[in-house]
Amino acid sequence: MNASSVLHDKVYYLNARIDYKLSDKVIDALQKGVPIVFKVEIEISRVRDYIWNETITDLRQRYQLEYHALTKQYIVHNINSGSRHSFPSLNVALSVLGTIVDLPIVDKNLLETGQQYNARIRAELDIDKLPVPLRLLAYLTSGWSLSSEWFLWSFQG
Amino acid sequence: MVIPGLRRLATGVFPIAALFILLLVSLYLMSAATQNSAEFGRLYFGLLLMNMLGLITLVTLIGINLIRLVRQYHNQVTGSRLTVRLVIMFALLAVAPVSVVYYFSLDFIQRGIDSWFDVKIEKALNDALELSRTSLDARKLDLLKQTEQMSRELSQIPNEQAAPTLNDLRNHGNAFELTLFTDNGHIIASSSADPSLIVPNLPGEAVLAQLKQGLNYVGIDPVRENELYIRAVVKIPESDPLAVTRLLQSLYPVSDRINILAESVQSSYDRYNELTVLRDPLKFSFTLTLSLVLLLTLLMAVLAAFFSARRFVAPIRVLAIGTRAVSAGDYGKRLPLHSNDELGYLVQSFNDMTQKIAQARDDAYRSQQQAEGERAYLRAVLGRLSSGVLTLDKRCIVRTANVAARQILGVDLKGCIGNPLEHISLDHPYLAHFVESIKGHLAGGRQEWREEIVIFSVGGRQVLMCGGAALPGASGRPAGHVIVFDDVTALVQAQRDAAWGEVARRLAHEIKNPLTPIQLSAERMRHKYLGLMDAKDAEVLDRATHTIVEQVEVLKEMVKAFSEYARSPHLKLLPLDLNTVIGEVLDLYRGDETTTEFDIHLASDLPRVEADSGRLRQLLHNLIKNAIEVSHHEGVCRIKVSTQYISDAGLEMIELRVEDNGPGIPDEILSHLFEPYVTTKTKGTGLGLAIVKKIVEEHGGVVWAENLPDNGAAITVRLPIALTIKKSVVSGELSSQKDNMSLRQTTARKDSSTRRRKA
Repeated sequence: MNASSVLHDKVYYLNARIDYKLSDKVIDALQKGVPIVFKVEIEISRVRDYIWNETITDLRQRYQLEYHALTKQYIVHNINSGSRHSFPSLNVALSVLGTIVDLPIVDKNLLETGQQYNARIRAELDIDKLPVPLRLLAYLTSGWSLSSEWFLWSFQG
Repeated sequence: MVIPGLRRLATGVFPIAALFILLLVSLYLMSAATQNSAEFGRLYFGLLLMNMLGLITLVTLIGINLIRLVRQYHNQVTGSRLTVRLVIMFALLAVAPVSVVYYFSLDFIQRGIDSWFDVKIEKALNDALELSRTSLDARKLDLLKQTEQMSRELSQIPNEQAAPTLNDLRNHGNAFELTLFTDNGHIIASSSADPSLIVPNLPGEAVLAQLKQGLNYVGIDPVRENELYIRAVVKIPESDPLAVTRLLQSLYPVSDRINILAESVQSSYDRYNELTVLRDPLKFSFTLTLSLVLLLTLLMAVLAAFFSARRFVAPIRVLAIGTRAVSAGDYGKRLPLHSNDELGYLVQSFNDMTQKIAQARDDAYRSQQQAEGERAYLRAVLGRLSSGVLTLDKRCIVRTANVAARQILGVDLKGCIGNPLEHISLDHPYLAHFVESIKGHLAGGRQEWREEIVIFSVGGRQVLMCGGAALPGASGRPAGHVIVFDDVTALVQAQRDAAWGEVARRLAHEIKNPLTPIQLSAERMRHKYLGLMDAKDAEVLDRATHTIVEQVEVLKEMVKAFSEYARSPHLKLLPLDLNTVIGEVLDLYRGDETTTEFDIHLASDLPRVEADSGRLRQLLHNLIKNAIEVSHHEGVCRIKVSTQYISDAGLEMIELRVEDNGPGIPDEILSHLFEPYVTTKTKGTGLGLAIVKKIVEEHGGVVWAENLPDNGAAITVRLPIALTIKKSVVSGELSSQKDNMSLRQTTARKDSSTRRRKA
């Protein structure tokens, strides 16, 4: 995973590349029609010297991946924006899912110039969005809790 | 504070009931959540956690109860055994049916879920999906051909004029959208049925890659939700090989009917497949919910078993404790009344019973106290009576005997109580006459009788005045007899002594007066006529007058002795040494060593005794004279005089003992020896020992005679050292009699012991 932020037109945009690796259980469930929801969390915090950092913004992006059996296509659905795209293979769908291009994250006005800001990003499979019977098992058994580490970077305000 | 609170929580009904209801509600919600209800879906884990906590609480409560019960069982607390049995029974009654239901429910769940899945259904769904695909494929091919046709038409048209042509083509071919673009994604022209769509929907990179290889693309895209479109992308054949490659994309809507059907097939297929994935999780969560319900029910049942057992046993326990208290003698126990069922009734009855028992016991105690009081009163009265009292029951068994009876009979009657009357005479044969007389009267059946009975006891002859009366019993028949007897020996003796004293006084008075004139007359007669008579007559006269004078002298002596006996003493009590007095008296009898030998044993440590020395001298004279006289014809008479200091049972006494070697005292007069005119001798007034007795009694002492083992007799005098001697004769006699009673006891016992030794 890697990520960076660029300032363009007084808005910071996020560009990130997330490499999703699904377990067999998840792929099996996906191909049997269970929609899988991925959650991408982005946090930006201001670095303070003596006390804890101040959280400036806290973004959550949700993507739903599902298999359309009739057309044998994988559909990526951005829940936040509502856009849908279909792909003939899982790898293509995952690579599109893992590519975040120019996602506006924070307005420059909210940040102090010259100040050091920390940003971090994490992606995980949202178990809470699974069907209820599966959820308990997903909590209790391995192969379902798919979560990346926090990826950290910092930038100047 | 924590432990009682916890205990209240563990034993209180309301907290448990509240917990139960809470858990039941949460289980219901959880069950609803399992049914895929979106609302409770979010609560599922919270509910699960809550139920788990609830169950842990229940298990803890059961644990507390169990530990308590086990501890009570080990400490053998009343009712704990019954509680254990009830708890086990209730728990089994609850667990068994619930377990059966659980087993079958589990089975049904497994089968029920499994029954959703069927090979035929799966195949039918696959076929339906395949059918949908096939039907769409046919349409796809048609549309691909149509698009290829359109591409050929467009190949001649330059980019600038493409837009109107596209519009025409779209209208003509019923396409939703037509887009002309270069192979690098740059849009040249576009025409859409929906004017709101400004940006045409372009195919993905995979499609473009496929086209670059020269293959046309046709496929179905779910471009919008629940709306399928057939997308066909073809390369426009160019006449100029150097020209930019242009692509034409056409989007055709699938007809609504097909759309709906395809979507239905798709969603059913999805749903079915999803279920196959959820098959095990569903089973798991159903099983979990069911198990939780079962566990909750079971634990509640077990807890309820504890509660009901305790509630059930509580009154029984109370009863058991009460019964134990009653058996231990605590009748004041009142049990608390809890319920008004049969157990409550039992407790009520128990309370009534103990109350009645307590009342009866108190009554019995009171009457016993009363009886004992009366008994003590009677005993005190009987104990202070100088008369002997014996009570016999119907079968002549001795029930009671008072102290006086013991003293009078000289028998320890304690051993005879509870034994027949004859038992008294077994050890003491001299009482046989007494017993026989009483039995005779009892057999006679008279209500009351009186008789004077004479017995010969160790203390000598005793005259008993006996009276008997029947004791009143139930239904008028006598319940036994009471026999009252007095020792009237002393009284009779005193009467006899008094009579003799009176006789002696009268005799002395009546005889003394004429004696002097007789004597004087005889002497005058002799003086006047002795010289006048001849020698023969003078001799007769002389002898006659001499005899008269001599006999008168004897009579005077006798009268003197009588008056001595009858005289009221005026004792001059002075402390004196008995040994000195004995020595002085014995000096008068010395001198004739050939006929009389004295053997003197005087104790050196004799205390002084208060006595009248003149009377004491007379006593000694009388005793020694008597001893010499009785043993005179035996040749040399040996007289042993001894003194001794005796301290017996708090009484301090001086004993004087005079023994002789005479023939002894005949048994028939032994008991009358000290009465006047009782004598074995031919001469003497017969008053010697009577006077001895009188003097001894004046000094508060006691005297008795006994025969010695070999031959001879001994007379023993005991004088008390500290004694207030009564001045008057009569009172002195009475008091001395009273004191004699105790003295006689000791002597009697002594005699019986010596007699036994003799035997």
